[in-house]
Amino acid sequence: MNDQKIDDILKQAAQAPGQVDPALLERIAGAIQSSLRPVRPLPPAWVLSLGLVLVCVAVALAGAARSGFYGIQKMTDLERALIFPALGIFMALAAMACVGEMIPGSRRPVAPGSLVAGGSLALAAVFAALFHDYQTAHFVSQGLVCLAAGLFYAVPAALASWLVLRRGFAVNAAAAGLVTGTLAGLAGVTMLELHCPNFEAPHVMVWHTAVILVSAGAGALVGRWRRMRTGDAPSGSR
Amino acid sequence: MHADAPLESLMARYQQGDFACATALIHRLSPQLHRYFVVQFASRRDADDLLQETWLRIHQVRHTYRPGEPVLPWFYAIARHIRVDHYRRRSRAAGREERLEDMPEPAALPTVSGGTPDLETLLAPLSDSQREVVEMLKVAGMSLEEVARATSSSVGSVKQKAHRAYEKLRERLSGLGLGGERAGDASSTGGAS
Repeated sequence: MNDQKIDDILKQAAQAPGQVDPALLERIAGAIQSSLRPVRPLPPAWVLSLGLVLVCVAVALAGAARSGFYGIQKMTDLERALIFPALGIFMALAAMACVGEMIPGSRRPVAPGSLVAGGSLALAAVFAALFHDYQTAHFVSQGLVCLAAGLFYAVPAALASWLVLRRGFAVNAAAAGLVTGTLAGLAGVTMLELHCPNFEAPHVMVWHTAVILVSAGAGALVGRWRRMRTGDAPSGSR
Repeated sequence: MHADAPLESLMARYQQGDFACATALIHRLSPQLHRYFVVQFASRRDADDLLQETWLRIHQVRHTYRPGEPVLPWFYAIARHIRVDHYRRRSRAAGREERLEDMPEPAALPTVSGGTPDLETLLAPLSDSQREVVEMLKVAGMSLEEVARATSSSVGSVKQKAHRAYEKLRERLSGLGLGGERAGDASSTGGAS
């Protein structure tokens, strides 16, 4: 039996009339009519994505301005030319993914999990290619300081991102949380690259990249928790 | 007037507060959304509830539809969300035994005219995701790209699910003696891809 034959059988089976009670349709129409008002559609995806990137860059710059731009001052031109564009590309992809998760039926070029894993690995690879000091003095103590600082700035970035996307509706709250957490984590990492003068390869590869992973994980947990708690009510209306 | 209007323009007018267009959308899309729920093993009563819940949610988030974008993936993404939510709530509330009792018996083979099993029975041996993909492609008439959007997956993944679903359907239909000819046309992928 070929696919065409299966198609024909499916079409024949699907031709049976859908049985929807007309009274139910009237009831639905009645329920809608009582609250029917014009609504303003969401802005284009690129506007929302740009808004998210600007918010994250602003948070990172504000954090570095508060703590000092020691990292970027110590970097060579090559390091600056590779690290910040890499962060920018990752941030743009994460912002587009965030917007896609908040608009039902959007195109999804990359799965959220692949974005986090692939992006983090790519970033770690850039760090590995640029930094060749393999000392691990104070690896944990200094690492925890950077992780905490990165996450500290990821929180306002996540809140601001939520504000930008508050009118959206996530059909998969955990995935939306994951990509929002990733984006917020990237704001934290950008702040660290501007600020942190510790260029030991293990430190940068492990602890700076960990900000993204921890933030993404926390975002996914928050999304999941919200869904369980609220039944995934839309985050905004009209 | 609204009977033949494109769904996208009806949706845009619905966003502008046009009740006639909202009603036209409800009448045109409800049968296929209802069938989507029934095919996913919901009882008729559950499907009625899910349909109502879906329209209320659609109404609540109608501003998230962007004019110019295909409308069916948007509707089905929301319907899918409601169905998954319903399944989770039900899984929490009921034990496994109870859920199995509720499942329709595939061997019953109710038929439509011509001796062809009805759609729900036909799709019963498929997994949830395969059933969903076949329903969207063949009943709702969506493209691979639209199904990928509605199910938050890639076109490749949709193709793979459709291919596997067709393999299972081929076995099932051949077993029922509906094929006429035996399997072996694996090279013909027109229906599943």
